[in-house]
Amino acid sequence: MILHVDELLYAAVSTAVGLADCDYRAPLAGTTFPVAGAPGIATLEATLVNLHAGGFISDHDYAIGKALATALCGGRVEPGSHVDEDWILRLEREGFMQLMHTDETAARVRHMLETGKPLRN
Amino acid sequence: MSNGSREAYIVAARRTPVGKAPRGGLRRTRPDDLLAHTIRAVLADVPGVDPAAIDDVLVGCAMPEGEQGMNVARIGLLLAGLPESVPGVTVNRFCASGLQTIAQAADRIRLGEADLMLAGGTESMSMIPFMGQRPAFNPAIFERDENLAIAYGMGITAERVAARWQVAREDQDAFALESHRRAIAAQDAGAFAAEIAPVDTVAREPDLEGGEVREITATVERDEGPRRDTSVERLGGLRPVFAARGSVTAGNSSQTSDGAGMVLVASADALKRYELEPLARFCGYAVAGVAPEVMGIGPVEAVPRVLKQTGVAQRDLDWIELNEAFAAQSLAVIRELDLDPERVNPCGGAIALGHPLGATGGIRAATIVHGLRRTSGRYGLVTMCVGTGMGAAGIFEAVG
Repeated sequence: MILHVDELLYAAVSTAVGLADCDYRAPLAGTTFPVAGAPGIATLEATLVNLHAGGFISDHDYAIGKALATALCGGRVEPGSHVDEDWILRLEREGFMQLMHTDETAARVRHMLETGKPLRN
Repeated sequence: MSNGSREAYIVAARRTPVGKAPRGGLRRTRPDDLLAHTIRAVLADVPGVDPAAIDDVLVGCAMPEGEQGMNVARIGLLLAGLPESVPGVTVNRFCASGLQTIAQAADRIRLGEADLMLAGGTESMSMIPFMGQRPAFNPAIFERDENLAIAYGMGITAERVAARWQVAREDQDAFALESHRRAIAAQDAGAFAAEIAPVDTVAREPDLEGGEVREITATVERDEGPRRDTSVERLGGLRPVFAARGSVTAGNSSQTSDGAGMVLVASADALKRYELEPLARFCGYAVAGVAPEVMGIGPVEAVPRVLKQTGVAQRDLDWIELNEAFAAQSLAVIRELDLDPERVNPCGGAIALGHPLGATGGIRAATIVHGLRRTSGRYGLVTMCVGTGMGAAGIFEAVG
């Protein structure tokens, strides 16, 4: 996590240099891996339900958690389905864009840019 | 087999001590071994019974997987040395499993289909955690708000009950303290002596220097849960676990535990044939469903049903084993049913003694059967709430 916006560029360059020093190579095209799918999303959502019912997270925290769960589990597919990195990144992008269209996420982004601190709403 | 016998009698009832999970004295003892040990203890109390004559073994287990999977009833009875001609079946109604099996065993006997049935439950929460090792919720649960409570953890349901029935934090902590006080008093008085079968445990650890396996033996003789050092202050200092502004804490909730409890249920014909002295008669059993989000209130529906079914009046219940899943739900049930607090859990409840889920019904049955005889009581009630919103209740009558 980058705590201050002024450090962002330095952190990014350092990370890239580090990857290069470790001979990082981008993944081969066409590599797939199994995902937890719809049941995995359900299992994570069960935790969200209880956190929400217990007042530990807000409605919007729940929505963010659900979007994360969807991306992490590869979407509403059968468990064990094989997907590739592009599939996961697409889910992440779709979830992000849906959230960006909400007032709550817009407020969180604005608050972070203005203050450098997270907003819980 | 006899026909026409309409009564089912408990002739032997035994249980293991209840160990704390996941770090108590029974944490390394497999639940099928706990079950086998308890079956042997029950049969040792009735040496005149030929084990081959047992018609079936019914074992409750709330998370029947892993070390307690693969039909733990059948595996446990074979490990206990029963002949391979004796069948076994594992039953799951979560926290009521151990009582459910006793009811089903009694049903078979009352129908005339069996004369001797072993029934009860086993559970190791040290080895198989609550909700099992791979919970897999149906996605359909999250598609409708009215189904969400199926996914509620038990603690959230306790918070819902506390809020709806207005059970204050202070009352919950006081109830928890009393559970410990009663349990300790019962232990000190030897109240559980007739029902507990101590468990010898063996832990095998590598001795790296010696290059050998070291066996560490111990005997667990007492329930590990009761705490002499607890107090209202200590309980009051605990933070709510399940809700940010809640009242349910680890201190006023039941403990996760390991244990087993079994009874031998016999027909009147078997009493004569094997010259058995009955400890109690199983009078009846009822179950009911309630909203999952307030599952703790389950006994409020089940208890009146079993009382009506058996014709026993609530005022005639001398002993009530109300499983203390949470102080909040226990108090709500006590208030709704107007139970006499003095008769509820006189030897303490699950908050102090522990709650090994599927075994609890069998364990509490052993406690009530021996407790009624010790105190010259007549009718006893074992009741519990059940996850996903149910209640179960069984009535026992002391005999002899």
